[in-house]
Amino acid sequence: MTTRSNLFAAALVAPLLVLVVASFIVPLLVTLETAVANPEVRDTLPRTAAALRAHQGEGLPGEDAYAAVVVELAQAQEGQSIGQLSRRLNFEQPGLRALLLKTARAKNDLAPPYKDALIALDARWGDPALWQLLRRNTSAITPLFLLRSLDATLASDGAIVAAPADESVFRALFARTFVISFWVTLLCVLIGYPVAYTLTTLPQRWANIAMGLVLVPFWTSILVRTTAWFILFQREGPVNALLQSLRLVDAPVTMIFTRFAVYVAMVHVLLPFVILPLYSVMKGIDPVYLRAAASLGAPGWKRFARVYLPMTMPGVAAGALMVFMLAVGFYITPALVGGPDDQMVSYFIAFFTNQTINWGMAAALACLLLAMTGVIVVVARLVVPGFASTALDPRR
Amino acid sequence: MLTMFRTTLLAMAGAALLAAGSAAARDLMIVGFGGPFQDNARTALFQGYSKATNQPVKDDVYNGEMAKVYSMVKSGDVTYDVIMVEAPELVRGCEDGIFEKMDWAVVKKNKFIEGGTSNCGAGAVLWGVTLFYDPAKVPNGPDTYAKLWDTKTYPGKRLFRNSPKTTLEIALLADGVAPADVYKVLATPAGQKRAFDKLDQIKPQLMWWKSGTQPVQLIASGDATYAVGFTGRIVRANEGGAKYPLLWKTLLYSVDYWAVVKGAPNAKEGFKMIEWITDTKPLLTLAETYAVSPANKDAAANPALSAKNPGMLSSHVNDGLFINTEFWVANGEDLEQKFNAWVAK
Repeated sequence: MTTRSNLFAAALVAPLLVLVVASFIVPLLVTLETAVANPEVRDTLPRTAAALRAHQGEGLPGEDAYAAVVVELAQAQEGQSIGQLSRRLNFEQPGLRALLLKTARAKNDLAPPYKDALIALDARWGDPALWQLLRRNTSAITPLFLLRSLDATLASDGAIVAAPADESVFRALFARTFVISFWVTLLCVLIGYPVAYTLTTLPQRWANIAMGLVLVPFWTSILVRTTAWFILFQREGPVNALLQSLRLVDAPVTMIFTRFAVYVAMVHVLLPFVILPLYSVMKGIDPVYLRAAASLGAPGWKRFARVYLPMTMPGVAAGALMVFMLAVGFYITPALVGGPDDQMVSYFIAFFTNQTINWGMAAALACLLLAMTGVIVVVARLVVPGFASTALDPRR
Repeated sequence: MLTMFRTTLLAMAGAALLAAGSAAARDLMIVGFGGPFQDNARTALFQGYSKATNQPVKDDVYNGEMAKVYSMVKSGDVTYDVIMVEAPELVRGCEDGIFEKMDWAVVKKNKFIEGGTSNCGAGAVLWGVTLFYDPAKVPNGPDTYAKLWDTKTYPGKRLFRNSPKTTLEIALLADGVAPADVYKVLATPAGQKRAFDKLDQIKPQLMWWKSGTQPVQLIASGDATYAVGFTGRIVRANEGGAKYPLLWKTLLYSVDYWAVVKGAPNAKEGFKMIEWITDTKPLLTLAETYAVSPANKDAAANPALSAKNPGMLSSHVNDGLFINTEFWVANGEDLEQKFNAWVAK
């Protein structure tokens, strides 16, 4: 009997389990793998890789490695697989793509001994650092994508060094992403709290209408709302017209492609996510507590700070958490109304996925974003009052 | 282990889709960037070919991002046959085995303009960007990039493409580098620094566009005073009543190509279709309704066509700078990184 009901329970849970595994766990593992996978040299230059692994010491490899690289590069070009290899190595060191293509094209003009022929073709083939780079990439995994995502890189001897200043973007990018998300979260809570409170105090008929005003934008596509802000913020748009007619400004103010526009649009898009949980928590608070506090002589501000606010903290925490998590992954809104220095991590994930087809970088940025967000949420649970035990807990 | 798992998963997905798709051989699928070109090409080129050969043809739109095509080829479920691609994507995809090598036995190679053929692609149309502004607001605007840097004579925001491609070339042209030397200079670290230093001089006046519709839109709205935008959009805005000058001396141009996706079930028919839609006659039919800039030599040299369409790029390429595909394939990722670092500074 017990076994049968256990089986029944398992069967009920199975679809959910399959869904979670297929739509969450597997993509996550694949992304983690893509962030460190390094198949190009192994797959495209297998014989060269074997010769390099057999070769000991710091100097140039033997003729076997040179002969293998000539043949395999030409094969790769014929078989249309040289692109991934050359792009991968060019990412490691700009200029290598041209070298590989040049070598592949020169195959018919080269004669043994290939070591001399290749060095004659291009002096870089006589540089031990190049061969070390190739040898390093015969390994199945590489830390390079993760390092680059943190503005570090590998020196030719394999040591981790900081990337040159004119190529450092990602640490500032992560910082910017979290700073924007933090301010958006704070603004959403500060604006959403009084709105949610007002909703609970309105008479039922008005409360329904006001709730509609919160929900209708919530159901409207993000793209539509963001585009609306774009139109409102134009130089000859309604906001500038209003500011000028009120004589607040003399000339139209540039608002699109600024951080200001990003904040306004993001707060607008995310506001319902803090209002709705706050409303449900506030609605459940019995006014008897406040009356008790008042009858014990607490003034208004104290009733709020000591009684009402602590009781609404679960709603604040749930709303803030939701807004923060969504804000960290925002893409469309900053892309549309922000300038190039207002973009967040997702913009670069999309950029590497779609534009440069560098899926290693896209995956590395995604993994780091996930890890950092996880750490921040865990720390927030520890330090923010009311967050740890009460967030999303319906019993409170 | 994971790779194996992933491969199995992809294979399973592919097999399922194949089973679903193989029930009926599908129509020839041609995919472009959409917009007015495709709306007009649909009748003149795509359905024209369909009528001439009784081959059912469907068309679809993509936004030029290659991730979807890469996934298609990797999973073996290729739903596109013929696709329009930009030059660097074509070269890269060709080396990556994303496109079939062009069958020059079917497509006649000698009918294309110079630079109109590539290992995997046959030239479709030319595109370019030029400087423009609204003469109603700026009566005597700058007509060279060097003058565009004169913020005293020409105050106001400058709108550039949010990409190092075209932006860095423009900076060097403004700094007095001869068009023929631009890529030689830009290939060196010193040249790159020179370009960024030049951009630094007007950085507070710079704005950046992301989609091709924005330059005309933001000039019209007054958010930007000068912009570098696609000539096709400027021509169309002028057809709609705007009076933007076409400053051909500031032209930077390139070619979009037709290519066949690797493993496309209709690859053979695809090559035949490319041969047909790049021929002079269908292109002249297209030109009756749409101001096309064909990569076909005879069509481009047709005097009636260039008289009818003064914005046809092939008439102005001698004034312009050809965007070096090979340079951007080799240096694109590196310069994108430097550009992003510079912009955020």
